[in-house]
This record gives sequence, C-alpha cells and structure tokens, in this order.
Amino acid sequence: MADNKIIVLKDISVSFDSEVILNNLNLYIKDGEFVTFLGPSGCGKTTTLRIIGGFVTPDKGDVLFNTKKINNLPPHKREVNTIFQKYALFPHLNVYENVAFGMRVQKKGENEIRNTVHEMLKMVNLSGYENRNVNSLSGGQQQRIAIARALANRPKVLLLDEPLGALDLKLRKDMQVELKNIQQKTGITFIFVTHDQEEALSMSDTVVVMDKGEIQQVGTPLDIYNEPKNAFVADFIGESNILDGIMHENYLVEFAGKKFDCLDCGFGKMEPVDVVIRPEDIEVVEPEKGHICGLVTSVTFKGVHYEIIVDVNGFKWMIQSTEVQNPGDKIGMILQPDDIHIMKKSKYSGAFGDYSAFSDEMYEEQHNKPITEEE
Amino acid sequence: MKSKSINIPYILWIGIFIVVPLILVLLFAFTDSSGNFTIENIINVGNYASVFVRSIWLGLIATVICVILGYPMAYALSKIAPNMQEFMIVLLMLPMWMNFLLRTYAWMTILENNGLLNRLLMFIGIGQVNLINTSGAVVLGMVYNFLPYMILPIYTIISRIDNRIIEAAQDLGASRRKVFSKIILPLSIPGVISGITMVFVPAVSTFIISKMLGGGANILIGDLIEMQFLGSSYNPNLGSAISLVLMILIMICMGIMNQFDHEDNSMGGMII
Ligand SMILES: Nc1ncnc2c1ncn2[C@@H]1O[C@H](COP(=O)(O)OP(=O)(O)OP(=O)(O)O)[C@@H](O)[C@H]1O
Ligand SMILES: [Mg+2]
Repeated sequence: MADNKIIVLKDISVSFDSEVILNNLNLYIKDGEFVTFLGPSGCGKTTTLRIIGGFVTPDKGDVLFNTKKINNLPPHKREVNTIFQKYALFPHLNVYENVAFGMRVQKKGENEIRNTVHEMLKMVNLSGYENRNVNSLSGGQQQRIAIARALANRPKVLLLDEPLGALDLKLRKDMQVELKNIQQKTGITFIFVTHDQEEALSMSDTVVVMDKGEIQQVGTPLDIYNEPKNAFVADFIGESNILDGIMHENYLVEFAGKKFDCLDCGFGKMEPVDVVIRPEDIEVVEPEKGHICGLVTSVTFKGVHYEIIVDVNGFKWMIQSTEVQNPGDKIGMILQPDDIHIMKKSKYSGAFGDYSAFSDEMYEEQHNKPITEEE
Repeated sequence: MKSKSINIPYILWIGIFIVVPLILVLLFAFTDSSGNFTIENIINVGNYASVFVRSIWLGLIATVICVILGYPMAYALSKIAPNMQEFMIVLLMLPMWMNFLLRTYAWMTILENNGLLNRLLMFIGIGQVNLINTSGAVVLGMVYNFLPYMILPIYTIISRIDNRIIEAAQDLGASRRKVFSKIILPLSIPGVISGITMVFVPAVSTFIISKMLGGGANILIGDLIEMQFLGSSYNPNLGSAISLVLMILIMICMGIMNQFDHEDNSMGGMII
C-alpha cells in the first residue's frame, strides 16, 4: 500500500473565456477513501470533477489514474462514474434499463445484468421499482436510481456532484448515512462535492477546501476544523473569531492587547499572525475574572446555545454559550491555551472573523422592534 | 369555471370551420345531385383505386426520402455552433416564404425538355433525358417542398435533449455511436413521427405538384378531387366521397405510424 494514490492531479490549470477557473491545482486521492471537495459556489468544484470524469480537458497539467496519464482518455473509457448534480436519468428508459445501461453498453450477459440490477436496487432500497417510469419517481428516489446506475458499472472511483442538493433536510440526512454505508460496504473511492460544511465534516475521510480555483487546505475533518490553515478556511468551516496577533516567541502570542499562552510554535520572532478562537471555546465569567472584558451587544437563541456578540474595544466577538446573557451587560472571557489557534498571515487576513456587520444588523433589528433577546 | 368561458371562441372556431365542413362533406358524399341518399358515390370511388394507390405510393416514397435526407441534416444542424444554427434555419425557411406555385414553376423550367438541366446534360454530351411529367419529378417536387417540415421537428427535438443526459451515457461507457443509437435516436423518434405526419399528409393530398411536374399521366387524388369541384367533370358529391375515403385512409396510415411511437403520446395531437 505504499503507492495507493488512485488519482493524481498535477499542476492543473483551466480557463474558460480567458477567465482562470482552476489555478495550478495539485491533489492526490487515495484508493478507497471518501474525499469531499468543499467550497463556495463557483469555486471550481464541478470543474475539478469534470476533469477527473473526462468532460473537461485541462489547459495545463496532468491527470493520473493509477499512475497512468489519462489527460486525453474520453469519458467512456475511464473507470470512473459520475452522479450528476441533476441526476440526468434517461427519460425514455424505465428504472431497470437505466440501471442496466452501463452493462448493456459493455455487452454483459443478460443473467449478470439482471442479478446486478436487482443487487443495486436492493442496496438503494428500491427493490420492486424495476418497471417504473423514472419520471414518476420522487427526487429522493431518482437520486437513488442515479446512485444504483453509477454503482452497477462497478467503478473504481465514484464522483458525486452535490447529489443531495435537491433533497429536503430529513431525506438529506438519511441519504448521507446511506451513502456513507454504501461507500464503506463497497470500498469504492468516493469524491463528493458539496458546499455544505456540515455534510463535508460528517461524511468524509478527507476534506479539500477550495476557494477561487485554488485549494486552501487538505486534511481530515478534525484537522480542518481545529487547525485551519488560513482565515478563509477558519471562516468557511464553522464560526470563527479571527484577530490580528503577534507571535512573541514559541507558545506566547499577543492579541486584543494581552499576552496569552498557546500551543503553537515555529513562527518567527514578533511575526504578525492571525489568531482563531472558536465561539464555543470561550468561557464566560464575571468581568473582573476574565482575561478580556467586553460589552454584550446582542443575544440570539439558537436552540442548543445562545449566540452572544460581545464588543471588546470595537472588535465584535461571537460567543456560543448555553447560558443566557443580557445585552448591555459587561462580561469577562477566559481563553485557555488550547482554545487559541495561530495561523500564518494570508491574502484572506482581515477579510473575515469580525462580527461587526453581523452584530450591527442584530442591534438595529432589536432597536427597531423591541422584542425579547430570544428573538 | 373561468377557463370554460375562455374556451368558447375556440369551440366556436372548431365548430364553424372544422365540424360543419366535415358534416357537409359527409352529407355530399352520401347524396346524389338532387339531394337523395345514396351510396353510389362511395362505390364509384373504387373506380379510382389506381389513383389512390399511386398517391399513397408516391407520398410514401417522398416521406421516406425526406426522413433519409432530413434526419442527418437535422442532427448535423443541432451539432453546429448555436449562432450558426439560427442562420441555417433561416436559410432552410427562406424558400418557404416564397409562393408555393412559384417554387414549383421554377422546377418546371429546370426539368423541362429544353429546360436548364437538359441543356446542361446536352452540353456535357449525355443528351436529352425526359425529366418532366414523370412520377420521379412529382416525388422530387414533394421532397423539395416538404423537406423543411421533416427537418424542423426533428431538429427541435434533438436540440432539446439535455446535454447532461448525453454526458451521463458517455460516463457509463457509451461511445459516440452508442450515445447516438441508445440515447439520441430513441429520444428523437417523436420528432420523426411528427415530421412524417407533416410530410406524408400534404404529400398524399397535393394537387399542384402533380399537375405541374407530373403531366396528365400522373394525376393524384388531389387532382381528382379538384376536377370534381372546379374542373371539367363537375361532381361535388363524388368529390366529397373521394375526400372522405382519402381522410379515412390517411387516418389509418397515421394510426399504424403511431404504433411505432412507444414514447408518451405528446405527439398524439398531430394525428389528423
Ligand atoms: N463551460 C463553461 N464555460 C464557461 N465558464 C464556465 C464553464 N463551466 C464553468 N464555468 C465557470 O467556472 C467557474 C467554476 O464553476 P464550477 O461549476 O466548477 O463551480 P462549482 O464550484 O461547482 O459551483 P457550484 O457550487 O455553484 O456548483 C464558474 O465561475 C463558472 O461560471
Ligand atoms: Mg457545481
């Protein structure tokens, strides 16, 4: 298992109409893992999938499949199958023939086709739907037919382009579990595209965070969440307070006018850095006991917790806490060393991580119509 | 309830211009010149069986040629650059904006014994060939006049096929040929059916084309009917009977045709 990279993308660049869509992308995908491309709309996720599927030829760079270069291999010769963003079932064929399509094209025997179709339909819980017209199925059922159709070809790699985008929340959750089960059962490499960070974190072995045609970070869901590489990743995955800081020495950082112990090292002396603090890590105490003091400007009830915006010398922090606070109260905040994560400065520094705009909106809302804090 | 009142003008239209004339045809077909009931007219239609056979046969040949020529043209049309497609469609329609009679006259001057084509043939030494007043000329006229009606519905339906469906087929291992035979062809059958209807029906009942290009020996049902109303052998009762039989024959043909269309019956409205 020394070399189990099933797909390698090497220095890939793509432009459409002289607009750069993917910029020098490098990525490898290990055999049998569940990889998710995560990023905002238009960042190039679908384009990356289409390069792997063979529908887009990169302007520059190589696509390797099991170490073989496949840049110019047409889609029908690739051992990769796709579940498209909008399913794309064949409207003139019934469920059985849709699932059988790939095998028919490969001229498989009638017996094998029948067995595989039944097996696949059983896997997606649609046994007995063989003769149904695909147009008469619900969105979730069409989705599962698309999965069965792709898996019936027994691909080495399955590409899934936001397959759950059109489903309601409940069905979405069920399908997430179902997809994960199918992936584990079959051992097929899944490359999954989504712009839903929760979906990405809960399903994947590896998450690839993309923005503006560039990979921002590759890592396990835990790495991505706990150790974001830059302000974009920190902001895109979950909520983050991102502050300017200065690394005095290893394990000692200054921000918000105070020095804090931290767990990060390897930065230059007095190097400017971005400091990330997750809202749920902050402990709220009495003003005089806190490392930092601030004024509560708004409180929103979110079900599991309250979302509290605190003004500290003009910088608005977000805190998530199960205890309610009142707007106008002075509170203290405690930050433990492992709550503090240090990132190198990047082009995203300063663009994210201050909840000013957010809290202004809230503030106005509250003053326009006097409602309770739990609004 | 509102939708019902909206329907009234259409129902009136259908009543005045479709149902009433049909009843009149029926009435004429089953009466003699003094208005008494008779089935003699219908029986007499049998005397013209050979004209019916020739009309349907020539119409069929023209339709088949239109499919053979039209399908590849429609397919090619749907594959060229989108702005080019618009231009090509205008080109295709251009002759249709010209009067039908004029177009057919033009062919007369081309096919005549000392027409354009024959002069060319003589010039290159093949000698004069009799082109005009043959059934071939009639078929040519039909194909020329009705080909756009074959191309347009096929083109429309092919260009509406979702590209993602084609990509899905490629993704599942289908080569270009397989994509065509397993996806594009079956999905375009409704267009072919509607094209066939739009070519076959006017081809069978045409009268100007056969008159101008076919000469006296190639009269078709259309000519026959025309003669009963306007021509020498004035007999609207027989004319109506012939029309009635023609209508029934065409309906049978289209019925058989639609058996080949296993898709949803979105084209069902085109039968008559
Ligand atoms: N065929 C094309 N021609 C021109 N531009 C294209 C083409 N395909 C994609 N683009 C552009 O490339 C960019 C990236 O598109 P892509 O579909 O990869 O985004 P995405 O990350 O999948 O977004 P989404 O989450 O909305 O699906 C977009 O700005 C899009 O407009
Ligand atoms: Mg996309």
